[in-house]
Amino acid sequence: MRALALLMALGVAAQAGAQAIVTSPAPDRLAVTVYRDPDRGLEPLNLEWLGGYALVSETRRVSLPPGESELRFEGVTSGIVPQSAIVTGLGEAVLEKNRDARLLSPGALLDASLGERLTLRRTSRATGAVRTQDAIVRATADGIVLQTADGFEALRCTGLSETLVAPHVPPGLSAKPTLSVRVRSPQAVTRDVTLSYITNNFDWQADYVGDLSEDGRTLKLFAWLTLANGDDTGLADAATQAVAGKLNRERVWVSRGEAKPIVLNCWPSGTTSDIATDVMPVSLMSQESIVVTGSRIAAPPPPPPPAPERGGDVMAEQERLGDVRLYRIPISVTVAARSQKQVALLKQPSVKVEGVLRLRTYGGPIDQPLERVLITRNRTAEGLGLPLPAGKLALFSTRQGRRVLLGEGRIDDHTIGEKVEISVATATRVWARQTMFSSQDGGGLELTLTNDLPAAQTVEIELPLTAKTGGTRLVKRDGWMLWRVRVPANGTAQLRYRV
Amino acid sequence: MRALILLVSAMAVAAPIAAQPMIPVPSQTAQGDIAVTIYNNNRALIEDKRQLDLPAGRSRQEFRDVSAQIEPATVTLNGRGIGIVEQNFDFDLLSPAALMQKAVGQTVTLVRTNPATGAETRERAHILAVNGGVVMQIGDRIEVLRDDGIPARVIFDKVPETLRPRPTLSVTLNADGGGRRPVTLTYLTPGLGWAADYVALFDEANGRMDVQGWITLTNTSGTPYVNASTLLVAGAVGNAGGGYDRYNRGYPPPPPPPPPDGIYRPGTETAGRERLGDFYLYPLPERTTIADKQTKQVSFLDVSNTPAARGYEFHNGWLSTADQAQSVYSVLRFSSSRAQGLGDALPAGIIRVYQRDARGNPQFVGEHRIGHTPMGSEIGLATGQAFDIKVRSIVEERTRMSSSRWRTRMRYTLTNASPKPVTVDLFQGGLWGDTRIVDESLKSDRLSADETRWRVAVPANGEASVTATFDTRH
Repeated sequence: MRALALLMALGVAAQAGAQAIVTSPAPDRLAVTVYRDPDRGLEPLNLEWLGGYALVSETRRVSLPPGESELRFEGVTSGIVPQSAIVTGLGEAVLEKNRDARLLSPGALLDASLGERLTLRRTSRATGAVRTQDAIVRATADGIVLQTADGFEALRCTGLSETLVAPHVPPGLSAKPTLSVRVRSPQAVTRDVTLSYITNNFDWQADYVGDLSEDGRTLKLFAWLTLANGDDTGLADAATQAVAGKLNRERVWVSRGEAKPIVLNCWPSGTTSDIATDVMPVSLMSQESIVVTGSRIAAPPPPPPPAPERGGDVMAEQERLGDVRLYRIPISVTVAARSQKQVALLKQPSVKVEGVLRLRTYGGPIDQPLERVLITRNRTAEGLGLPLPAGKLALFSTRQGRRVLLGEGRIDDHTIGEKVEISVATATRVWARQTMFSSQDGGGLELTLTNDLPAAQTVEIELPLTAKTGGTRLVKRDGWMLWRVRVPANGTAQLRYRV
Repeated sequence: MRALILLVSAMAVAAPIAAQPMIPVPSQTAQGDIAVTIYNNNRALIEDKRQLDLPAGRSRQEFRDVSAQIEPATVTLNGRGIGIVEQNFDFDLLSPAALMQKAVGQTVTLVRTNPATGAETRERAHILAVNGGVVMQIGDRIEVLRDDGIPARVIFDKVPETLRPRPTLSVTLNADGGGRRPVTLTYLTPGLGWAADYVALFDEANGRMDVQGWITLTNTSGTPYVNASTLLVAGAVGNAGGGYDRYNRGYPPPPPPPPPDGIYRPGTETAGRERLGDFYLYPLPERTTIADKQTKQVSFLDVSNTPAARGYEFHNGWLSTADQAQSVYSVLRFSSSRAQGLGDALPAGIIRVYQRDARGNPQFVGEHRIGHTPMGSEIGLATGQAFDIKVRSIVEERTRMSSSRWRTRMRYTLTNASPKPVTVDLFQGGLWGDTRIVDESLKSDRLSADETRWRVAVPANGEASVTATFDTRH
């Protein structure tokens, strides 16, 4: 802050005009609904770049004077989409909604003072004596030119300690972009006003934790609802919801406000010597620039797996909202700034699953391990039968009393009744090799599966619709010819076919 | 105490605050009665009626507080009894370097400060050259300014008239007589734009919707417009040769209005709005100040209880197999007609749709952009994907009939996990060329050479399927 120390009288912004300024510093009650990034697909949550959004509804008690006044809402998120703001509770009194993004910064302060009388203060480096005199700012575009009683001078081209002092903050400059409404009321009123708006930089997902039984046929499924707030405004004691499903979003450009530094340029200052002097650098940009975004959140540790015997978790409640699903956290929670929060989403003690190994081929040489896929159906009969929001699955098993991670997979949104297939790992112990025969050898392809595990494995190979075998039976399933085979323990299986 | 008083008085002497007749009063806006007409494509027409004190004959008038992004070539000045000699747009900016350059050959005052004692010495210096450094003559010595690093103030006696703090518009004109008279300044500027924003609260159970429309205007032109009468034009006026952006401060312009979308049938009714040529006009009801970097919203539409319904659409682009069932689009259908809808033309903008949750709180359920929509249009907005209603398309058989002819049998499986029966509009595209449907389980409507449609009823918590065989020639 060497460049300019500016003394500002606070609260002077409310000076001009017949319009009273009423400031509502913070919401009294708060509700937030978090929406998933519709374009994230199955990618993990990136805490430094959250592409989802949230609907924030705030209730504020405000008292308005009679006549025209400007009601300012402070403490809204910085990712607000101002076009989406809805103010209810004031009825016909609202004339217009405004959002001002002219920010108070050293550069903006000087720009707004162009032609105005400020105080120029010089401090002697030798004696410490302070001298002040009046000065008018004449130019700020490319270096600062001042008019004083002596004549015209350039600020900070002299080598002296000098600075400009302003008597007040020029009207219309604020610390953050400010949302306000202009209202007109015939008499003084006190009302509960609801402000709701959409804000960017939120996201959520489901984090599933599955414990596979020893025989691999049932899964104990638990899920976290993981909410993330990347905004620098926290939402305290908020009624919190999350919406599962993909909603259409339109891109809008939102001005973040302009944080302008002071540009101090002087005339050419070449000298005859190359001895370094204590001359100030001529351009002192960027010292005052305000960094609007870019702070980082440390990635949190992975969610702790729940202890098996635990009970009485706070569980999110699910309901239908139009064509999507709403999850409601039954207690008020604080969604702090730049943080992630988890509450229990669902708990299904015994889900019937089938583990198969799978490969899809279009013909052509293959030399690779198979993929392990967990298959179930989202029905009550299988121990599920509830909506499954998109998210990540961590699959565990128990070996000699210790939990081991078997694999990780991702789940898209699945509704009730759907088949659920989650690819969880690569099965390196079961290998597929496919070779092509030349026409002299009869043509076609040969697929060999080898299993070095001490247990038989169910394998599903998806072949093109045109595949034909010598005698092995293929079934048609979902647009593919399926070869379903059980590869014996420490054994092989072979298929010859042509396409 | 005495010492303190002495010190204070000494300081007061050291910094004489002389009466300065040359310093004018702080500025107010120079704008007069201002009228702003804003178009959708980030362009505006400003009409500024000012009172000028003109001397008789030729004089040069400067116009302050015009848009910082003014297109100078579009400036027109009109007034009774004045003739324009020339118009200038000067952007020779006042800066320390420019001030020094223009001082070559002139004399300035140099005030040096002794670093040890703080004592000042005052000299007159003649500037010889400003090339990389400042070379000057003091008495009979030639020196380089601040070569010794000792603090030195350079005081210029005056600012050259041609240097200005900001780019300035000036007009030289001929007046037929002296005195105060109104003149009208008009010009075009980028940096002002507007769009509509709609809030739709949809009541699905009753098939009704409340819609509020807001005009959102944005000023990034670098200048406030004080107490302006504002008119918004729903339309984009031509902009030959692209935007002119002399004073751009790194702000991206608002995006251009999107192409029309979501209109099933464009309307043919005339809305009860003011019109100008091809455009509808939306005047703001009151004068307002449009501050710089401001987004301003004013209500223009408030309709309650208009009929609206939810529909479902699924578009399959090509005869292909999907790995997973895909959600259908949830479409909000309504009309802008007078008889059974919003009863107004809708300027381009974003419609945000809300629905009440089980506790009665409005929740956001998706948004969609519309283009300028005439009154009487049938509108369908895809607001999102339905969680519970999905379609899976599968190629069941592909048979080669000849070298250029194939038969493809498709099966579409539609599932509905919601407790109400729905009808899904299932579209199959990619039929361009000579593709015929030779067999189908449900009658389709061929909408165009490229696309066909089935209307499929799917029972509550149930499933439906459609099969069709396509005969394709290449």
